[in-house]
Amino acid sequence: MNVDEFVKVFSERFPGAEIRVSENKMPHPKRRVWVEIDREKFHDAMKFIKELDPKAQFSIIIGIDAGDRLLAKYHMEMFWGEGESLSLVIGTSVPKDDPKLPTVTDVFPSALPYERENQEFLGLFFEGIPDPRRLFLPDDFPEGIYPLRLDETGIKPEMVKNAGHPYKIKKEGSK
Amino acid sequence: MNGRLEYWVKIPIGPIHPALEEPEKFIITLDGERIINVDVKLGYNLRGLEWIAMRRNYIQILYLAERICGICSFSHNHTYSRAVEEMAGIEVPERAEYIRVIVGELERIHSHLLNLGVVGHAIGYDTILHLSWLARERVMDILEAIGGNRVNYSINTIGGVRRDLEEKHVRAILDMIEYYRNEVMPKIEEIFLYDPTVEARLRDAGVIPKRIAIEYSAQGPTARGSGVKKDVRYNEKLSVYPDLGVKPITPKEFTGVVKGDVFDRMVVRVGELWQSMELIERAIDQMPEGKIKAVPKDNALLFQLKKAEGEGIGRYEAPRGELIHYVMAQKGKDVPAKWKMREPTFPNLFAIARALVGEQVADVPVAIASIDPCLSCTDRVAVVDANTGRKKVLTERDLLRLSIEKTRELNPNVRAKPEVVGVGCPRGGVL
Repeated sequence: MNVDEFVKVFSERFPGAEIRVSENKMPHPKRRVWVEIDREKFHDAMKFIKELDPKAQFSIIIGIDAGDRLLAKYHMEMFWGEGESLSLVIGTSVPKDDPKLPTVTDVFPSALPYERENQEFLGLFFEGIPDPRRLFLPDDFPEGIYPLRLDETGIKPEMVKNAGHPYKIKKEGSK
Repeated sequence: MNGRLEYWVKIPIGPIHPALEEPEKFIITLDGERIINVDVKLGYNLRGLEWIAMRRNYIQILYLAERICGICSFSHNHTYSRAVEEMAGIEVPERAEYIRVIVGELERIHSHLLNLGVVGHAIGYDTILHLSWLARERVMDILEAIGGNRVNYSINTIGGVRRDLEEKHVRAILDMIEYYRNEVMPKIEEIFLYDPTVEARLRDAGVIPKRIAIEYSAQGPTARGSGVKKDVRYNEKLSVYPDLGVKPITPKEFTGVVKGDVFDRMVVRVGELWQSMELIERAIDQMPEGKIKAVPKDNALLFQLKKAEGEGIGRYEAPRGELIHYVMAQKGKDVPAKWKMREPTFPNLFAIARALVGEQVADVPVAIASIDPCLSCTDRVAVVDANTGRKKVLTERDLLRLSIEKTRELNPNVRAKPEVVGVGCPRGGVL
């Protein structure tokens, strides 16, 4: 399936989605599809992508703080078995006071580490995520601090326990 | 007290680079000798590059990107430039693309030779390590001649390359390829394709079936070793690679079977060494004359990027697999609104963690080494006995000893003391 066919099929299934095709000027021009879709239809869209190509591969979740909204962009590589693959960036956005997205781990199991990463760094939460533990940040990192949010002011002194240093951890009861 | 607090409040936090020379923790649950669960914890070396990049301009990020990894420094730099070029619509001169291909393939040769040695070390065959790392010196010298440094050669810039390839470099590269063809590759092939001990040790270790490789988005030699015909250079029609005739390499072309184990991943790497040398020769043949930079002055480039808006994605097949960078511009500023990258080891780690279930503990070092992260700093491994619930921490040295003992069992004729000193930094006693 090439870019034009994909755009046609996708826009018929999701009429509300905003679709843009960019072309860059390498010696061999490469066309990339950018899709913007509502949060409500996002999970269906991911399911539809899996139906179109059961071998579609999930590359990355790019979480962006854009002022009052949080954006999430998912890069997918589709039809890689047929020579030139289709590079698709499907994005959605959520308001900052309700930062919740449906998880796509039921469709693409490899999305789990990226969802965990975005939960801890950007405070973008995924409903129904099977493993909500932290991946990068230490376990004693304060709750409710999301380092990559632009309005984040950092850790307040009263949140700091043993400053996170392994040698400075005091056992309970010792002075 | 205040100084310390200050330090911790200001510590930059961002995505880390979980590839070579980085600590990663694998928590392994055991039932007897068999692994029944593997969990990965990252973040021991969080450098916060994404956070730092919010305060750097496009040119400065170029050098930051290069320092994500010392082994694939060109790949990161190249992919980031590609993302910025796509965002701003900068056209790269053709000669620059050819030079990028040549340096990229030289880097692939040095990275694969390094990994072949590391895997040899993990099974206790230090001769392989010494042979392949000695051979690697030659390509490092060439990279130094071209870029001025053995690592972090920073040859790449947005819209082209910073140094031209001269006649003497071309001669040196062709000499090097001849040396590899005649001296190194026959030995490497003999070891990794035909040696009975290596085959016995690597066959059926850390098997990633094709279905799991696709489901967990494995990348690079890890995926191709499982029979997934996927290569960004080929799938993305990247740069001038289609003119050079690049194709994904699977072990089927060499051994006739695809099992998806460590052996197959090594076969893919051996095949890619041949492929890289061929690509370099063709690129040198076809390279046209001309400009090497789209915008000669950095100031002019920054001014042009200041006016840019939109977003771009750069993709490249780094030696370990698909590398992807994303850049979003903000109009009127020479600082990007967002820079985000994903390294190939990240999905590969989770694929290998899944594949280790059901394997023996002795296969852990070689299986993890086969996806090409750094073994020497693979923090430590905590082993939990499923029956008693007791926890025991195995250091890197213990793991290596287990692995080497298994090799001795398979081939008692190998003479050497099983006691080893790990490569790289000793990591005893932390935590």
